Amino acid sequence: MTLEKVAEMISEISDMEASEITTETALSDLGIDSLDIAELVLNLENEFGVKLEMDGSLKTVGDIVAKLDALKA
Amino acid sequence: MISSQICDLLGIRYPIFQGGMAWISDGKLAAAVSEGGGLGIISAMNADKNYLREQIRTARNLTDKPFGVNIMLMSPHVAEVAALVAEEKVAVVTTGAGRPTQYMPQWLEAGITVIPVVASVAMAKMAQDAGAAAVIAEGQESGGHIGELTTMAIVPQVCDAVSIPVLAAGGIADGRGMAAAMMLGAQGVQMGTRFLVACECSVHPAYKQAVLKAGDISTVTTGRRFGGNTCRCIKNTFTRNFLKTEYLPETTAEDIAELGVGSLRRAAIEGDVKNGCLLAGQISGLVREEMPAAEIIRQVTEEAEILLKGASLWVK
Repeated sequence: MTLEKVAEMISEISDMEASEITTETALSDLGIDSLDIAELVLNLENEFGVKLEMDGSLKTVGDIVAKLDALKA
Repeated sequence: MISSQICDLLGIRYPIFQGGMAWISDGKLAAAVSEGGGLGIISAMNADKNYLREQIRTARNLTDKPFGVNIMLMSPHVAEVAALVAEEKVAVVTTGAGRPTQYMPQWLEAGITVIPVVASVAMAKMAQDAGAAAVIAEGQESGGHIGELTTMAIVPQVCDAVSIPVLAAGGIADGRGMAAAMMLGAQGVQMGTRFLVACECSVHPAYKQAVLKAGDISTVTTGRRFGGNTCRCIKNTFTRNFLKTEYLPETTAEDIAELGVGSLRRAAIEGDVKNGCLLAGQISGLVREEMPAAEIIRQVTEEAEILLKGASLWVK
């Protein structure tokens, strides 16, 4: 569930299709810059109603999904 | 006299900040700007807390007016300098090169006014949500680390997106730039390059001369290929070699990081204007004269005041 939504939101700001994005996908492979990541984080926060800290621990899409699930729980 | 919410917020006379420039904005320059009625800002750059403590002491010995510290979020010493500014209770913290939210609670608790530099609407909204008192919307005309948007484009968009005051930075060096920024909705401006040539600025004289001699097309950006580390600097042997290497197919992001190491120090401290990295804004071509910081502030605000008063002449 969370992965699908995150993948969809990432696909909006990158060249990747939502279907190509997995938990293994590294943020550094998305071809997006730090400003895009800030935009993504803001969109995710609004969508999921949580606060995400971009502290370097989020390296893959799976990390974001796990963080969101933990914050929602 | 030009005044805005920023002056009331910080207890300063003119809404002019001096940008935090690595290896350049030290305690002496910051104190001179604050004494001149603006807000001087010490750059914490990549240095450790001992360096920063010394600069804060220097500034406090020279002025009793408020000044700020710019925390570079990519610094390896960011955690210790973030803690030091809270301990020292400096009046203002500005941040650059990233998202400052994890350090903001300790600064706010210490009573510090936090004003992040932002390069997009999303970053401005995040800063506001985290408790920032204002934001500095910086266009890519600036020297040093830059984003993608220009000042003309980013300032009104950020003004529309947040309810806190916005300062404009990037491409501003005189009263025309300040007046224009205020017309875009900014409550103040931040200038770096103009203060780089202030008499009180301790940067190597050869670096100052390079900025004074620079024209409109003298700057280029390096580090765009791999993103995240784009810098504007004056064209020289360093930038030509950098750009040649940057776009070789075999070059990696690590090679690029390696190329930059020590290049700022080489320029600012050693005065190597050929092989050092001379960070400076597109507005370098407008910066023609070395003068005291207080005089820069007086000139810029007087000119802006005349222009803003005359703005009604456009409406028939």
